Amino acid sequence: MMFGAPPSVTRLIETLSELPGIGPKTASRLTFFLLRGETDLPLRLADALRELKERTRFCSVCFNITEADPCPICSDPARDRSSICVVEEPLDVLAIERTEQFRGLYHVLHGALSPMEGIFAENLRVAELLQRVQSGTVTEVILATNPTGEGDYTAAYLLSKLRPMVARLTRLGRGLPVGGDLEYADQVTLANALDGRQDL
Amino acid sequence: MHIRSLSLENFRTYTRLELECPPGPILLCGSNAQGKTSLLEAIYCLSTGHSPLTHVDRHLINWTAAEQDMGYARLRAEVVSRSRALEIALALANSQTRTGAQRLQKQIRIDRQVRQPRHLTGCLNVVLFLPQDIDLVAGPPAGRRRYLDDTLAQVDADYSAALDVYREALRQRNALLRHLAERGGDASQLDPLDARLARSGVVLCQSRRRLIADLSRYATRIHSELTGGQEWLKLEYHPNFDPALPPGLAYQMPMGELSGPPDGISADDLVNAFRAELDRRRKDEIARGMTLTGPHRDEMRFTADGVDLGTFGSRGQQRTAVLALKMAQREWMTETAGEPPVLLLDEVLAELDMQRRAFLLAQVGQVEQALLTATDPTMFGADFLSRALLLRVERGIVGPYT
Repeated sequence: MMFGAPPSVTRLIETLSELPGIGPKTASRLTFFLLRGETDLPLRLADALRELKERTRFCSVCFNITEADPCPICSDPARDRSSICVVEEPLDVLAIERTEQFRGLYHVLHGALSPMEGIFAENLRVAELLQRVQSGTVTEVILATNPTGEGDYTAAYLLSKLRPMVARLTRLGRGLPVGGDLEYADQVTLANALDGRQDL
Repeated sequence: MHIRSLSLENFRTYTRLELECPPGPILLCGSNAQGKTSLLEAIYCLSTGHSPLTHVDRHLINWTAAEQDMGYARLRAEVVSRSRALEIALALANSQTRTGAQRLQKQIRIDRQVRQPRHLTGCLNVVLFLPQDIDLVAGPPAGRRRYLDDTLAQVDADYSAALDVYREALRQRNALLRHLAERGGDASQLDPLDARLARSGVVLCQSRRRLIADLSRYATRIHSELTGGQEWLKLEYHPNFDPALPPGLAYQMPMGELSGPPDGISADDLVNAFRAELDRRRKDEIARGMTLTGPHRDEMRFTADGVDLGTFGSRGQQRTAVLALKMAQREWMTETAGEPPVLLLDEVLAELDMQRRAFLLAQVGQVEQALLTATDPTMFGADFLSRALLLRVERGIVGPYT
């Protein structure tokens, strides 16, 4: 008869392999790393995971992930309340914040339209966005969804909904990566960059 | 253009094949089920990114390899065209998704760079002629649409790009229509998809119209040579919705002879007409839960002296019409791409009479390279055999013919 790992070990391996980007092999390696160490790492990890679940929620204004509601960005008096940047995921907020270029507020949709995958307008925070724009003092909405088929579709849909409500609607520029080489850019990117060229 | 070398790994009956291919005719001989057709299929896969014989990529992986947990297949060809030499590779590999389900991944590399299937356009142009191609005349319309798509996508990069956009928009739109029919919701979610469908759909319509008009011109001449001028073959395009010809106007202009929109109509007008039609039918489409208008429902017909060959043609007439179509495609591709495509002829000689055989073999002389399969080389004349490279195919192994 063959013996496998004890049930508590197997359970952690199986749970870890549910995470994106982690297969059974990586999960086993992580599990045995946690087992071997003499440190309190497993317990700290458990605490962190519990807190993550218990202390975080969605901001009732922008639907970003937060511990305090409204979130620090929405409640910051220094932020420009006339401008909203619409993104697909909370990670996108972090990416734009890192640029330190944008001083307005955000709105997180939690996905992009994709009927094939069962994601429709009613599954995203679209109604909340429209309400926000209608009732507030918003003069610009930046549509910062991803430059993918779904992201473009979502932006086009929001554009038609927001056009009557907002003075200025913009989409993030799409073009060449900084430090990139023209000859290595793919046709679509290059065509977009040409399309969106700027007067000097 | 021609293929300089072909290498296969776990593709169909081939566990491993390395084949040097000289220009000129190559005759693959062997009994049935030895791998002759698979070789042509592999070349077609490298040209278009998919098999002409199955929708299920998994079936392309060698059966024993798939069983032994080696679920992968690799195809690679070096192609020499007038302007350049390049390497095309296609890999299929089983992988596991997060949920543990098996998934087949397809990866295309052109000169070792990972590319999308649509980037295959222009890399390797082929005309494939299979015995079952008679279904192009007599079979269901989906086969004719696939033929048009595959033919255009081989040489026209704008068509390939539009086809990708159209298919994606159509899938999204049908899913949305089904959802609106069952659960309701905001119907204006359709608008951006309608715009994409119309813009790409017009490109498909116009390209198909031009292709069919061109093919018809070549095919009429070829067919007339084959039948001694007794019959007049024509290919007709029947678009499901023709933005260039509103239904009320259709009787004023002959179909199938128009190679572009009438004067004074711009591409934007066509897109707007297409969108207007989608608007007009929106209620109906929501009720039915699917897209009812567009090139995914186009039709092409073969007529001889005005009679539809699909319905009324004899088997022999249908076969001659397909031969004329394929040879018309050869001429069209040569003219459009600026150099002849590779001919892939599978067992087609056996079904033709002496005159048509002679015609087809003469066509082989018009291209840089042709691969032919046959169970019996004796049906080829001594003159042809002296020019051709003869190879024997036996249980997935290709060797010299002795």
